[in-house]
Parts: sequence; structure tokens; C-alpha cells
Amino acid sequence: MNAAWLPLTALATSLLVAVTIFALPEEARRLRTTINIGAAVVKIILVTLMVRRVAAGHEDIFSFQVIGGLDFVLRIDALGVMFAGLSSLLWLCTTIYAIGYLEGSANRKRFFGFFSLCVASTIGIALADNLFTFLIFYEMLTLSTYPLVVHRGTEQALNAGRVYLRYTLSAGVVLLLGAVLLNNLTGDQSFSSEEGLGDYLNDHRGLLTLIFILLVSGLAVKAAMVPLHGWLPRAMVAPAPVSALLHAVAVVKAGAFGILRVVYDLYGIELSVELGVITGLAVAASITIIYGSLRAIAQQELKPLLAFSTVSQVSYVILGIGIFGPFGTVGALAHLLHQGLMKVTLFFCAGNYAEELGIHRIDEMDGAGKRMPLTSIAFTIGALGMIGLPPVAGFITKWYLGVGAIQAEMYWVVAVLVASSTLNAMYFLPILHRLWFRPGPSHGKGSWPHEQRLGRLETHGWLLWPMVFTALISLGAGLFAGLPYSPLDWAARVASGEYLP
Amino acid sequence: MLASFDVIEVLLALCLTGSAFVCLFDRHLVRASCFFFVFAGAMVLAWLKLGAPWLAASELLLGVLLTGLCFFYALGLLSPGASAPLKHDKFSHPWSRVAMRVVLALAWFVMVGAAIRYVIGDMMYSPAEHPLLLAGVLIAALALAAFALHRHLFRRLLAFNLLGSGVFILLAGVAGTSAAAQMLISVGLLVACLGTMLGALLIRQLLHLEGVEALGRDGKPQRSKA
Amino acid sequence: MTWRFGLFDSTFAPLVSTHWALLVALVFPLLMGGLAALFPPKRAWPVVLASVPLLASGGVLLIAFQEAGLLGWQWEIAGLILSLRLNGLSVLLLLTTQCIVVAAALYTPGHFRLTEPGPLARWLWPLMGVALSALSLIWLATDLLTLYIALELMGLAAVGMLMLSGKAPALLAGMRYLLLALVGSLTYLLGVALILGQWGRLDLQGLAEVIEPGPVAWFAAALIGAGLALKAALFPLHAWLTPVHENAWTPVSALHAGLVIKASMFMLLQLWSILLPDTFYAPRIIAWLGLLAIVWGGLLAWRTDSLKTLVASSTVAQLGYLMVAFPLLLGPDIAPLPRALAWEGFWLQLVGHAFAKAAMFMAAGNLILATGEHTLKGLAGTSRRLPLSLLVFGIASITLMGLPPSSGFTAKWMLLEAMIITQQWWAVAALLTGTLLTAAYVFRMFRYSFDETAPRHRYQPLAPGMDLIAMLLALTAFALGLLAHFPLELMHGGSP
Repeated sequence: MNAAWLPLTALATSLLVAVTIFALPEEARRLRTTINIGAAVVKIILVTLMVRRVAAGHEDIFSFQVIGGLDFVLRIDALGVMFAGLSSLLWLCTTIYAIGYLEGSANRKRFFGFFSLCVASTIGIALADNLFTFLIFYEMLTLSTYPLVVHRGTEQALNAGRVYLRYTLSAGVVLLLGAVLLNNLTGDQSFSSEEGLGDYLNDHRGLLTLIFILLVSGLAVKAAMVPLHGWLPRAMVAPAPVSALLHAVAVVKAGAFGILRVVYDLYGIELSVELGVITGLAVAASITIIYGSLRAIAQQELKPLLAFSTVSQVSYVILGIGIFGPFGTVGALAHLLHQGLMKVTLFFCAGNYAEELGIHRIDEMDGAGKRMPLTSIAFTIGALGMIGLPPVAGFITKWYLGVGAIQAEMYWVVAVLVASSTLNAMYFLPILHRLWFRPGPSHGKGSWPHEQRLGRLETHGWLLWPMVFTALISLGAGLFAGLPYSPLDWAARVASGEYLP
Repeated sequence: MLASFDVIEVLLALCLTGSAFVCLFDRHLVRASCFFFVFAGAMVLAWLKLGAPWLAASELLLGVLLTGLCFFYALGLLSPGASAPLKHDKFSHPWSRVAMRVVLALAWFVMVGAAIRYVIGDMMYSPAEHPLLLAGVLIAALALAAFALHRHLFRRLLAFNLLGSGVFILLAGVAGTSAAAQMLISVGLLVACLGTMLGALLIRQLLHLEGVEALGRDGKPQRSKA
Repeated sequence: MTWRFGLFDSTFAPLVSTHWALLVALVFPLLMGGLAALFPPKRAWPVVLASVPLLASGGVLLIAFQEAGLLGWQWEIAGLILSLRLNGLSVLLLLTTQCIVVAAALYTPGHFRLTEPGPLARWLWPLMGVALSALSLIWLATDLLTLYIALELMGLAAVGMLMLSGKAPALLAGMRYLLLALVGSLTYLLGVALILGQWGRLDLQGLAEVIEPGPVAWFAAALIGAGLALKAALFPLHAWLTPVHENAWTPVSALHAGLVIKASMFMLLQLWSILLPDTFYAPRIIAWLGLLAIVWGGLLAWRTDSLKTLVASSTVAQLGYLMVAFPLLLGPDIAPLPRALAWEGFWLQLVGHAFAKAAMFMAAGNLILATGEHTLKGLAGTSRRLPLSLLVFGIASITLMGLPPSSGFTAKWMLLEAMIITQQWWAVAALLTGTLLTAAYVFRMFRYSFDETAPRHRYQPLAPGMDLIAMLLALTAFALGLLAHFPLELMHGGSP
């Protein structure tokens, strides 16, 4: 039975919310909040439904013809549901956080409208079943994040927005060229077709490689791979919820997810290996991982540090793709979720420090653990996960990647993993040391840059609880990785579908 | 061959060319407009000569009466209370501009003339036998040069009208005076007349708002490729 | 190629209801225009009433075409054959025209109430009516005489409308436009004269059968091409466009940039497909000029400080997209598939751009009206105060940029595909460069509007519906991207 309404409804939830919010007046704060949270909950229910239907082996497709030989197709599959699940879960958390964060500031209607549009795009990206549909939502994501990046309207924010557009729109053009070339070569190619592009290998080897390079370099801009990462640290001027969303779910993950789609569902892993592009991908990912970590060490401020950490961490996903074999794939897919959860936690924490205490620089964080214990614990969980210490979720990924690398006899990848973990520790551990062990203003030494008492607890409840929630989930994803429907379990299901037809 | 020329036709052609020349290149605008009357009158006769009485009638009505009146209106001679009647074109042209534009317009038109001459062997009237056609080519060339050259809007409007007449004669020469050609020419006449009315209104309004200087303010040099 | 324009014999004769619909579509706008000149509508509802029969006539013609396929009309007057035809393309363009003109007409009363336009305002209505009738006639006519009449009517009405604002710069720009348009039409007439002299007939269907390539056809094509290019503001002849729009009233600009320019483009393609079938160089030259147009128009729009200039210059660049497709439509040795793709992409781009550009002019007009500033800098802070106008501008510009899922994107996809099949890589480069340039100037404008640091000033409140009409147009352009199937299906049928 085909439930065509399901993918459509999932998409429409966020789209309708966006339209409704644009139609409401700026002052209708309560109504807007209710609609936002209500829709986010509905979305989670829909995604749960999707998970159950995929687990039961159903395939729900919604499609219509756009022009001859080109269809708009939404399809629910295991990989897509994974991304949709991440996005809808974090939508709820980030929305709650954003409501608290932006309280009393201007232009909230615009913010939440484009925020919902952004989430709708990610759902569309997750459920798109061919390159044409994917491209539609990918570009929609570019456009809907621009107003969020420039939200503050300062000179710096506007410049960041300009840089962001330069990168992403150029990438969109490259991607479009690749997509049209591919469409020309093979006709409308569904992500769900089992055949891959193997038939074209003999006659069009060069063209296939060219298209691969075009597609992946178009996607790599959003995935912030070196040297196409320049927009990401600059986009840090955006408000904290935006950074959280950009880094954890929407933009960088859309890029990584696109590369997953191209390699696994469009080309097929065998063909990618045959073309030799996969090793290139692994090398590029390794360079990005090391470079991102090195730059992160050099940062003086918290948010840029987290940004470079993202640059480095997202490439683990790409690295996992680059390792041929089921373990690498499982690592890549699981990291897509794990990194999202941990990074969103870290950004929430950074936002809380900035809101409550006015902390922006790392050297201002001395002793903050005493003043804001929950936030600092959450930050510690996230940081340890990023380093890859058990039992946090990050450990699982690194473990699977390492095993995959050894199985594929790519020992240099293990070296990269070790080096990057060391570098991660080098920039996160000093912060943890400052948080917990250095005396600071809460011990009566100096004062916080700009302290506000936002709530009865250590900060405003709207800001606190989403962060606690995501921290717990990052911990739980590591602790209970063996349970069914955990990120790891689901990643293994996708990977087995890929390697065991 | 020359002997076969009809004397009346030669005279008409000369009259047309001469009046067109004065009309295009006289800086005294009232005089130029008067010569337009002469020119249009000659056109009426020319149409009669070419065997197109209907065209002659419409030329008389649209070309002579309405268009001519439009010019006098634009000059401010019809409404006695008008602010300042236009008398002279006092705009000067730098030599480089003059040379460039004249060369441009002439080159283009020589090309077209040659094309018409050689492309269509069996034209209805051969220019070699019909001086009126030769006059048509000449008038169109002169008018195009004037159109490209002048800055004064009034003179450009005048040049456009003469260009139109030249093109109409050419059209009649190429396609004869069949029903279709006559229709085309009448529509062309009507359009030219309407355009001139609009132009005259505009010139008056501009004079009223901005004074004489506005008429020569061409903005950026506009290359008129026609 | 000529069959795509419906130049062949139809199977069925039109029904009586179709005759009436045709009459309404062609004459009703004139009547209503005249009526409105006598009693200028102060509110939108009389316009709504007047537009109902008009849109109904479009609907009847659409249904008639869907039932019977190509329809033809012919009259003989004093040895002259005048003929009209209704094929899928004409229906599509006719409906587009009617929608945009009605939208502009609905927009006008609100605009007038806020701007106090002066005594000339009432003349806008008849001119609008003439323009609509002439445009409809251009989409339908299949003989050179009718086309000439319609082209001139449209041109004169357009000049008249553009100058109604009565400001000196508008008059000066309008005068230049008038003179150039008139000279352009004389050039066109000379080309027609060559055709008439050589082949002795003016109906396109007959000409399509008898015309042989040769110097006459080439010269006629060159003359007609030059005349129409001047009217369509194709690249090197575009200089008159910007100053004209700078000072015109908003609904007039919307009509002019959306439709009037397109009509010349349509005629150019139609006549060249008859005069120059399968020639190599002429369409190439147009395409190269199109490439330059994309770059030059984009740069102009990028460097300007005035909002209206930005929108008007973008028209120059957007016409470049259409010009670049010329070799695919007219060139030799193009396989049927890329030609069909290019054909559909061309018209989708044209229709999408018509809607989007009309919406964009209205949005820009609204912003200017509300802020009282004509420059981009004056837009600072509008994202907070005028979000709706800005949103309309944004949606329209998505179509112009050709980003998904707008009609600009779908059209660009089709054109790109056709270009890749025929391996015209420079044209691919032109389209992609155009995307980036468009994004550059559009987001330059948005950059100003998001500026929060600028001082506030007072905003004039807009009439209700002004944003709404623009929004509807913009959304139409947007939705045509995913729903492209419906308009394109109209053009599928119809080979003889």
C-alpha cells in the first residue's frame, strides 16, 4: 500500500507553518509559539510513522510529472528517514531554544518563518528521490538560510551573508551543471533504482568522473570541505540557534547527505570504487579533518572554534564513505546523527554562556562550571563526544571508522583518526579545564563580561532544557547503541541494504 | 535611356529632393516646416503619378494637413498664447560626432540601396528608369543622415517624417502599387502621422517644463541603427 | 519549425462561440478602455467587473483549442487576405497577456489614489486597452499587414503610456523611445516591402511555402530583425529601455517590460523561422549578442544605485537568455529532441519572466512609494517595515535567478539540456554566468534592505491589494516551475 500522503504531509507541515507565520502579525507571539511547537511535535509523530513503515518494508512514494521525462518525486527510504528524523528532532529542540533566545528581540516573525522554511527544505532533501527534486530543496535551503545568517542586520552579518551566498550559489550552479549532464546521459535516475550507473561505465568513463566531480564539489561547499569551507566560520555572526541549526542539521549535513546519496544511491559504491573517485574523497576528507582541527586550536573565541570543529567533524562522514566496506558506511551514517546531536548541544551551551554571562572568548570561561553547572556538564558531554571518548556517541563512530579502515587495509586512515582525536583533545580539554578547575568570577576573582540573571535556574528555562535534552540523547545514543532503532542500529540497517542487496 | 524620362517625373523628383534637403538641413525651423509642406505636396503628386490615387488622398489628408499642422503646433505658431515659439536650432555639433554619424548612416544606407538594386532584378519600377525612385533612395539616405546627426528633437521628428516618405517611395518601387502595398503604405502614413502628433505634443510639453535646452539634451549619445 | 507557430491548415472551423470569444478578446479592451477614460475607476471593483468577460473570452478560446486543435480565421478585403490563427502558443501567450494586463489594471486605482497622478491619468485606461488588443492581435495574426498594424498600435500605445507621468525626464526618454520605435518600424516596413516585391504575398503560411533562402530573404530578415530588435531592446539597441522605465508609472512599467518587449521578440522568432530556416550565422550572431546582453545587463544592474534601473537593466539581461536559445530554434542540424526542449524552454522562460518582471516592477514600485526613496540605500530597514513587498520582490527574483522551483529554473533546465545535447558549451556558460550575475544584483538589493543600522523614517501606508496583486503574479511565475507541465502541454499538440 502506498501512502503518498505521508511524505507530502511531512513536507507540508513545515511549509504551512512557514506560510502561516508569514501571514501572522509580528505581535502574535503566543500563537506563533503554539503553532511552531505543535507543528514540530506533529512532524516528529509523522517521522515516527515513517520509521515504522520503512521498518515494515513499505515504500511510500509521491510523484508528479514536471516536464516530459522529469518528475518531482518524494520517497521514504531508510537513509532519508534517518536525516528526516534528525532534522525534525532538532527542529523541536532548536525552536524551543530560539523562542527563549530571541525573546524581546525584533524581526521574530521573519526569523521563525524562514526557520520553518529551512526545516522544510531539509525534509525535502531527505525525501527527494531524484537529483532534480534534491536540487530543488537544496537551493531552497540556500535561499531560506540567507535571511537567518543576516538576521542581526549588522555590517558584519551582511558581509557574512554575502560570503555565504557567493559560496553556496556558485556551488548550486556547479551542481546544476552536473545534474543536467547526468540527466542527459542517463535520463531521470531514481535514487531507489538498484542498477546504479554501471551500464554507462564502458562508454562514458571520463564523463562519469567529470559529473561526479561536479556533483561532489557542488555538495562539498555546503559540507564545508577544505578549501570550500570559507563561509562557515564567517556565518558565526548569526544568532546561536541559527548556528546550531546550520552546523548540526541543515546546511553542512545537507551537503554531507547529498554526497552520501550521490555515492551510495546514484553511482553505487562499486562504480565509485571502480572510477577511483572514492579514494580521492577519503583523501580530501582527511585533509579537511586535520586542517579543521588545526585551525580550531588557533581560535580565541568559542563560536569560531566550534565552527572549525564542525569543518573537521563533518568530514568524518565523508571519510566513512571513502572507506570501502560496511563498517565505514555504518560509521559515516551514524556520525551524521551523532555529530548533529553533539554539535547542537555545544552550540546551545555556547549560546547560553553568551546570553547569561556575556562570554564569547575562551579565556573568559574560567570557573563557569560553578556558576552554570548544567550547561557546563552538557558542554563536557559534547566535548568528550567530539574527542571520541566512551560512552558518548562520538566514540561509536570513531570505533566503526577505525575498524572499517583496518578491514579495508587503509591504515593511513587510522593514523588520521588518531591524529584528529589528539587534536580534538588539544582544543577541547583546555576549555574543560578552565570550566571546572580554574578559579573565576564565581570564586570571587574578577567579574563576568555581561552577566544577566535570566531565570530561577542557572539561565532561562527555554534555553536550558533543550540543551539538557540533546546532551542526554548524545549520551544515550552512545550508551544504548545496541538497542533497536538507535542511530547505530538504523545506520547498520541502511548499510546492510547497501552492501547486501 | 535618359530620353525616356518623363519630364514631369524628373521635375517632381527634383522638387522632392530639393525640398527635402532644405527641410532637413535648414536651421531655421519655420522655414524648414514650410518646405515640409512643399515636400508633402510633391509627394501627393508623386503618388498620383505612380497610379495610386488613394494613397495620394491619404497623403494629402494625413501627410500634408495633419502632419504639417502638427509641426506648426510644435513650433508654437498655432496657439497664440504659447510661451516661446521655436525659431532656430542653436545646438552645435562637435565635428567628430558629425563625421561619425554621417558616415555611419550613409554607409548603412548605401548598403541597403545597393542591396535593393542588386537583390531584386525584377523590381516593379527600375530606379534607372524612374527618377522618383532614385529620389526616394536619396531622400531616405539624407533623412537617415539627418536623423542620426541632429540633436534637436524637432529636427529629428522632421527627419523621421522624410525618412518615412523615402521608405514609402522605395516600398512602392519594390513592390508596386498593389492593394497590399497601398495598404501597408497607408498604415505607415497613419502611424507616422500619429507618431508626429505624439511627438509634437511632447515637444510642447517639454518646452513648457524645461525650456529649449531640454530638446537638445540627448542624454548618452544614442546610436540610431535603422 | 514553422508548424510550431501553427502555420498550416486547420481541421476544424471555429464554432460560433469561439468567434464571439475572439471578438471579445480583441475589441472588448478597447471599449472598456474608452469607458474608463470617460469614467475613471476610483476603486478596483469596476476593473474586476470589466475583466470578467475578458478572462472568460480567454478561457473559451483555451477550451476551443483543446477541443478542436488549431483554429484559423481568414477575411478577404479588397484583394487582401487577413488571417488569424489560434494554436497552443497563441493561447498560452494570450492568457498570459490577459492575466498580466488585468493585474496591472487592478493595481492602477490604488496606485493613483496614493500618488495623485494629475489630469493625464485618465488616458492610461484607453492606452492600456489599445495595448492589450494589439498584443492579443500580435499573438494571433498570421499576415504581415495585420502584424504591422498590431505592432504599431502596441508601440504607440506603449509610448503614450510611458510618458503619461508627465515629468520632464520621462518625456525626454519617451521622445527618444518614440523616435527610435518609429524608425524601427520603418525598417521593418522596408523588410516587408522586399518580401512583398519578391513573392507578392503577405500571409505567413503561404510565404512559408514559397520563400527560398537567398539574398532577398537575408536582407528582408536583416531589416525586419533590426527593426524588431530596436523595439525589443535586444542587446546593443537597449539603451533607451532604462531611462524610459526610470520615470514611468509602475503598472505601465510592468506591462511594458513584461509584455510589450516580448511581443517584438515573438515576431522576430516567428518571421525568422520563415525567412531563415536552418541558417547558421544569423541565429549565432543573435546568440552571441545574447551572451553579451547577459553579462552587460547584469553588470549594469549590479552597479546601479537606483532600484528601478536595477529592475529595468535586468530585463536586458533576461532577454539575453532568450537570445542565446536562437541557434537551437533556428539553426541547422538540430535534432528533434533538443529543438523541442529549447522550444518549450524558450516559451516557459518568456512567460515566466513576463509574470516575474511584472511582479518585480510592482514590488519595486510599492517599495519606492512606501519609502519615498528611489535608491537602493533608501531601502535600509525595509525588511522590518515592508516585509510583504520585499517578499514579493524576493519570489519574483527567484524566478529571474532561475533558482528552483520557479519557472525560470525549469526553463533553464530545459535550455541547458538542449544546449548540452547539441554541445553548445558557450551557451551553457552564458546561462550559468547569468544566474550568478542575477544573484549578485538581487542580493545586493537585499543586503540594503536587511540593514538594521540605518535610521528609521516614516513610511507611506500602501493601498490594500497592491502587494497582493504583485504577490499573485510572483506566485504564478513561481508555481509555473513545478506545474510547467500544463502550459507546455498546450504546445505539444499541433503538428499538422
